[in-house]
Amino acid sequence: MSTPALDLLDVSKDFGRIIALRKVALRVELGEFVSILGRNGAGKTTLLNIISGISKPSSGKVELFGSDPSDTVNKSKLAVISHEMFLYGNLTAIENLEYYARIYKVPNMKERIESLLHSVELTHRRFDLVNTYSRGMTQRLTIARALLHEPQLLLLDEPFTGLDQHAIGMLTKLLLEQKRQGRTILLTTHDLHIASELSDRYVIIEKHQITHNGPMKDTSPEAIRKKYFSIDTEVATA
Amino acid sequence: MRAALAILKKDLQMEFRSKESILAMWIFSLLIFVIFNFTFEVSRLVMLEIAPGLLWVAFIFSGMFGLNHSFAIEKENGNLRSMALMPVDGGQIYIGKFLSVTSIMLMFEILIFPIFVIFYDLQLSLQMLMLIPVILAGTIGFTSLGTILSAVSVHTRNQQILLSLLLWPLVSPIVIWSVNLTGVIINGEITASFYPLLIRVVAFDVIFFTLAYMLFDFILED
Repeated sequence: MSTPALDLLDVSKDFGRIIALRKVALRVELGEFVSILGRNGAGKTTLLNIISGISKPSSGKVELFGSDPSDTVNKSKLAVISHEMFLYGNLTAIENLEYYARIYKVPNMKERIESLLHSVELTHRRFDLVNTYSRGMTQRLTIARALLHEPQLLLLDEPFTGLDQHAIGMLTKLLLEQKRQGRTILLTTHDLHIASELSDRYVIIEKHQITHNGPMKDTSPEAIRKKYFSIDTEVATA
Repeated sequence: MRAALAILKKDLQMEFRSKESILAMWIFSLLIFVIFNFTFEVSRLVMLEIAPGLLWVAFIFSGMFGLNHSFAIEKENGNLRSMALMPVDGGQIYIGKFLSVTSIMLMFEILIFPIFVIFYDLQLSLQMLMLIPVILAGTIGFTSLGTILSAVSVHTRNQQILLSLLLWPLVSPIVIWSVNLTGVIINGEITASFYPLLIRVVAFDVIFFTLAYMLFDFILED
């Protein structure tokens, strides 16, 4: 059996008396696209923080590509897209990307940056300060920033929030492209249709633990909604 | 050093674009010099006694602004978190931030020093060149400690108060010795005791820098 991209063994996390995660076990194979679903406060973001090595689990074990997530080699294989942009408003798009390219030792930096700016349709605004961008444009640049070093594992924390339909389409296309290239992707989202379109597998976190873990092909967004969130589709769409 | 230099370049790009830190520090120091110069009607001898203290008051208070600003820009858009995700050790990030804070502070000091000379009517001499190692050593001591404490306090709501509370007690010896050394140079009284004191400041710089470099990884963790 090959080393998985991610292996979580009974991971728990608490902040004093507040429990964020309880005995979470999850194995994600290389090249798999997994959607993590759950209500606000269920523990999805905490889980991604632990996987990325930003946060340490209170108990349990986390392995990324067979070793510790805070390992420098692992960090270079990882990219995070969240509601935080990780960009500097007082720098231009090019300057932001050059900064990250230097940190991540991106080869052929100029070409890579130009190609990414082209794919997120920001070439015409590349010399503008990021604080003059709209929310959608900033999120597109965030995506370019995350893909800059061709990460093997992408952690996406509700990346579709606040995007218009055009940007959602663009991000979906980019993620499908990453999936085709064999990247491992973990996505937290509330949009079951997007999760269903992109993912191989879904995981539901409820009350800080994984309650369901199964292949996406065996289910539909409506089924997930009905079965696991106890919300009738007709009521929800009314 | 790759990451450290990338951070330095990024911080300087931002500073040269906005001139936010240097301008604010310069204006603040100018105010200190103006107020003290026109408030006290004292003889030149007394003025020479208090001038070194005033110079370092200007350096340190303005430096506090620079330190606060340095990590405030990292807090924007979650960049502090992005630093924790970088495939480099915390020490490199510390060096990058230390270099940027120190270079911005040194640039400000170069800009404000001529004003200080004019206001306090100081006689320029070759001996004044000895101010270079003194100011350099004092500034490095202040920023090496200030950089890590600024990173600690940026996570809190009362960032500026906490930074002052943590930094002042620790950095006081360096500031006091730097004021003494500056006074000795301005008054043209360099004696044998000058060098051991300068070495003491440098020794503190080395200790603070090494400790901060080693501990910075823990600061970046959640």
